[in-house]
Amino acid sequence: MGIEFRNVTKTFGGACVVDDLSLEIRDGEFIVLLGPSGCGKTTTLRMLAGLESVTSGDIFIDGGPVNDVPTQHRDLAMVFQSYALYPHMTIAENIGYPLRVRKLDKADRAARVRRVAAMLEIESLLDRKPRQLSGGERQRVALARAIVREPRAYLMDEPLSNLDARLRVQMRGELKRLQHELGTTTIYVTHDQAEAMTLASRVAVMNKGRLQQFDTPLKIYNEPANRFVAEFVGSPSMNFIEREHVTEGIRPEHIQVLSTPEDGAIEARVYVTELMGNETFVFLSVGDNRLIAREPADFRADVDTKVWLRIATEKIHRFDPVTGESQKHIK
Amino acid sequence: MHKTEHKISNKGNVLFVSFVRFVILLSALVFALAPVYWMLTISFKTEGDQFASPPLWFSFTPTLEHYYDAFVTRAFGEYLLTSAIVAVTSTVLALVIGTLAAYALARFELPFKLNRRLSLWILSTRMFPAIVTAVPLFLMMRDLQLLNTRAALIIVHTSFNLPFVVWMMRGFFADLPRDLEEAALVDGDSRLGALVRVVLPLVSPGLAATAVFCLIVSWNEFLFALVLTQTDAAMTLPVGIAGRVTQYEIKWGVMSAAASVAIVPILVFALALQKYLVRGLSMGAVKG
Repeated sequence: MGIEFRNVTKTFGGACVVDDLSLEIRDGEFIVLLGPSGCGKTTTLRMLAGLESVTSGDIFIDGGPVNDVPTQHRDLAMVFQSYALYPHMTIAENIGYPLRVRKLDKADRAARVRRVAAMLEIESLLDRKPRQLSGGERQRVALARAIVREPRAYLMDEPLSNLDARLRVQMRGELKRLQHELGTTTIYVTHDQAEAMTLASRVAVMNKGRLQQFDTPLKIYNEPANRFVAEFVGSPSMNFIEREHVTEGIRPEHIQVLSTPEDGAIEARVYVTELMGNETFVFLSVGDNRLIAREPADFRADVDTKVWLRIATEKIHRFDPVTGESQKHIK
Repeated sequence: MHKTEHKISNKGNVLFVSFVRFVILLSALVFALAPVYWMLTISFKTEGDQFASPPLWFSFTPTLEHYYDAFVTRAFGEYLLTSAIVAVTSTVLALVIGTLAAYALARFELPFKLNRRLSLWILSTRMFPAIVTAVPLFLMMRDLQLLNTRAALIIVHTSFNLPFVVWMMRGFFADLPRDLEEAALVDGDSRLGALVRVVLPLVSPGLAATAVFCLIVSWNEFLFALVLTQTDAAMTLPVGIAGRVTQYEIKWGVMSAAASVAIVPILVFALALQKYLVRGLSMGAVKG
């Protein structure tokens, strides 16, 4: 049971947007499709919803092929980036729309709308129109409309990207909690790796229409399958050093900056430091290479100070300089 | 000191500009309404007063004899009914068919660039003068035995208004975010359900504006009504009015009375939809 993409390809007028995607999503999982804009993640979600056709390959929901099943019969719920609330309906009518379409009687409908509204704490808004609501409130209404019935899966297309930073973190937590309580399979599209790491049971990293890696957030972070994944996940990004026949990667937290020389430490110069509040990013020059190290907040160093770097060698990732594939598996 | 002077001259300027505006608007209004006023007065004047010299602009003894003549003695009441039936039916038909066509053109991707091509073909039916189709339509209606029937006029007026409806509505649909319909589909609604429950309410101002135009076109249409109908059974008001110009006399009073009544329904309809009209006509013009 669950959702499966089998060799799914989508082309738009010759341009390949999703390239031979195979993905098996288990029932109840929270999957995040992560990648830069234009990587095909939204198209993947829209194909699952039936809003885009599949050029080749098959999509299965609960074991049944759905390629030719129209959107309205796929029994999915979707939260759009724009929220797509119906502007001419009240909030109660918006939330109740999926039930109205399913011809539930009025009393039943009202009861379910109330229950969901209470769950998301938007009961006081039920008589208003969408334009009278703030961004955060609209977000909740869109969510309420999705969870008012029990669909086979929730699809979410960057649902938090229009919220301010504080609200985004808050809603992120609530989403995670909600999914935990409902236990419904969720597929969530984002370009924000923080959302991917915090929400997902498994993350599918995509780039240029191709699946790069599909694994748990921890595996994605600690054992990136290739250079793209290593670079895209983690903030600040992984450092790369080109060597003969190999590209080495080391995460900023695995570089320790020392003020005195030590055995095996590499000499470097401080280029600039950025105090982030709870930590400091130290930008360093080592010969022609630029590295970033993550240090505690109390780290202080003047520009151009000579320092020494202790690199946790066991944490070094090695990538093929041509293909970018991780060499860890090969070794 | 200097500043105050500046302010005063500014104020003077503003007054002058609004005065000029007022004069221009007033002239335009007089220019547009004077014939209508003259027609109204003629409809209430006795035949002697109609041609008094110098003309009687304001003071004359009003009479209702022409209205009685037109709507009781003559068949203008029937013409009015025919006009109303033809205008309303053809408007409704054009709106239903045209809206569906426009939605398809705006939303579904057809092969062979048909979206663009079909739209242009539809528009091209309005590119030649109407009289070009008069003879073929007459022959077709004759073969269908629809001459002198309201059905013939309804069919012709519908086909005449269709391109207009398609192009207007296509623009309104194209401006609407797709997200809303897609949300409706995911929520479990059918295409048609999404169109009726989500899309149409949102383009209702545009729909209203389009309806008013169709109604006016059909209501005022003269050429096909003249060609396709000769008897009282299916004569519309414009044709009936023009029919009072005869070889021997011109019934100015009857014609004016009928024409004055003909203005009323459109005026009422347009006033009732005024709120929508302004929004509908500017819809799509201003984005965001």
